[in-house]
Amino acid sequence: MSEDMIVLGIETSCDETAAACVRGGTQVLSSVVSSQVDLHSEYGGVVPEIASREHGERMIPVVARAMVEAGLDGSNIDAVAATVGPGLIGALLVGVSTAKALALTWDVPFVAVNHLEAHLYASFLEDPHLEFPLVVLLVSGGHTMLVLMEGHGRYRILGETLDDAAGEAFDKVARYLGLGYPGGPAIDRLSMSGDPEAIRFPRSMLDEGLEFSFSGLKTSVVNYVRKHPDVSTEDVAASFQAAVVDVLVHKVRRAAREHGAKAAAIGGGVAANSLLREQFLGACADDGLAGFVPSRSMCTDNAAMIASAGWYEFQRVGAAEMSTGATPNLRIRTL
Amino acid sequence: MLILGIETATVQAGCALGGHEGVLASAHCSKGRRHAENLTPAIEFICAQAQVDLSEIGLVAVDTGPGLFTGLRVGIAAAKAIAYALRVPMIGVSSLDLLAFPVRFSQRLIVPAIDARRGEIFSAMYRQVPGGVQRLSEPTVGSAEDLATELMARSEEVLLVGDGALRYKDVFDSLDKVERVDVGNSYPSAVSLVQLAHAKALREEFVQIDQIHPAYLRKPDAEINWQVRDVH
Ligand SMILES: [Zn+2]
Repeated sequence: MSEDMIVLGIETSCDETAAACVRGGTQVLSSVVSSQVDLHSEYGGVVPEIASREHGERMIPVVARAMVEAGLDGSNIDAVAATVGPGLIGALLVGVSTAKALALTWDVPFVAVNHLEAHLYASFLEDPHLEFPLVVLLVSGGHTMLVLMEGHGRYRILGETLDDAAGEAFDKVARYLGLGYPGGPAIDRLSMSGDPEAIRFPRSMLDEGLEFSFSGLKTSVVNYVRKHPDVSTEDVAASFQAAVVDVLVHKVRRAAREHGAKAAAIGGGVAANSLLREQFLGACADDGLAGFVPSRSMCTDNAAMIASAGWYEFQRVGAAEMSTGATPNLRIRTL
Repeated sequence: MLILGIETATVQAGCALGGHEGVLASAHCSKGRRHAENLTPAIEFICAQAQVDLSEIGLVAVDTGPGLFTGLRVGIAAAKAIAYALRVPMIGVSSLDLLAFPVRFSQRLIVPAIDARRGEIFSAMYRQVPGGVQRLSEPTVGSAEDLATELMARSEEVLLVGDGALRYKDVFDSLDKVERVDVGNSYPSAVSLVQLAHAKALREEFVQIDQIHPAYLRKPDAEINWQVRDVH
């Protein structure tokens, strides 16, 4: 198959129904994301059954729009890639079943994509010349991990969170502060008018290894607000955000130093956070690392990164079996 | 017109291919609840066996439930994708219709009952009419005991069919005038789906992809909890 093959990517692992057409792993012809966030916000988190039902309703309209926006029809598609895990089982199954049926009907390969690996590839989509070894900080509502990429498809997990994911901490603190769901954008916005040095929240495990822990920080925020009911919410948000970002950036630097990385990148929904983006790039510049921050729409869940990761997967590994199912707890394939 | 039927409303997943010459090929598996894994290879298999290319399909029929949510989503997602890729119309058929159809020669009241888990069954009532069956009541979800009480009140000969009838056989077998269809016919079949869809196709009862919705008959969990909270 030629290098400039066009992959239709499909993503349904959580609460975004997405489809995208990408040529040659890097040229985004279309990227459509239909977010269900409004449906889940009243519950303060993603309700799996609602998500699964919505994916079923939105999937084909989203695919159809991605095809129209790219100006393509089925005869132009060279492969169909879909997220097979990790994620919500009912949600994943809609995307996997749709993708396999499209591949079967169009008589093209089906490519199975790991959602976490796709987040790593979001950076390559926008900068295909990133140098290895590359340290990627993957931060979202479900994951917080440092991954060393030694080459395409060659991953080593350097550290993960021992309790809450960073995005989960944002959601929980936002809920406690009455800022609604999702918490990340709300805290980001509020922090703009707060003082990040107003309260010194703890930086858990700052000088220990490459693991993360955020549940203690969340508890500190709750305790502080209980003791100081008149504190400015803006200051709490800004100080909390500063503590999270401090730890994340600190560990990226250490990981890059310890593993001789040439470049560093971030990915996942929390990588859309303004302070993290700024501090991460600043730290990379200080340490002489080539730092890369994908555009915000490439950090949050989307199907362009699935199509891109699918292209690399197909070049390296090939097609997946038609009997492939969904794997809710799929891990990154490490060395 | 060649019809592809996809049926995944219970623990069984199946597909069939047919048209005016009847059903040409079919495949079913009721073990392992591997709907997503089995369905696409099964479609590939029946097409190869019948020497039919998917591009020859002119209509995609799908079982829209009620039934197991996960299975339904897999089958409906695949059916919609194939209809979209081929640019052909669809026909949705109720899983309860599919259970009643094969026993249409019975004079009795026909009651399909599908296991809905959580101690409940999906059911509806049917009667034989020339060429098939006619549904007499709206599909509902409720306990086997409630259905048994309703059947006793009607005091007529009843034929029960489906895995719900089988699962709660202790409730139904004690009733007079109620007979249960045996294990071999307890799941809706893709063969019946193609037969029923063919009849509908002759009447041009086609729908577009966005008009196909699974019959859940139950609100999502979170909503139920929400309402309970409001009540108390
Ligand atoms: Zn994600």
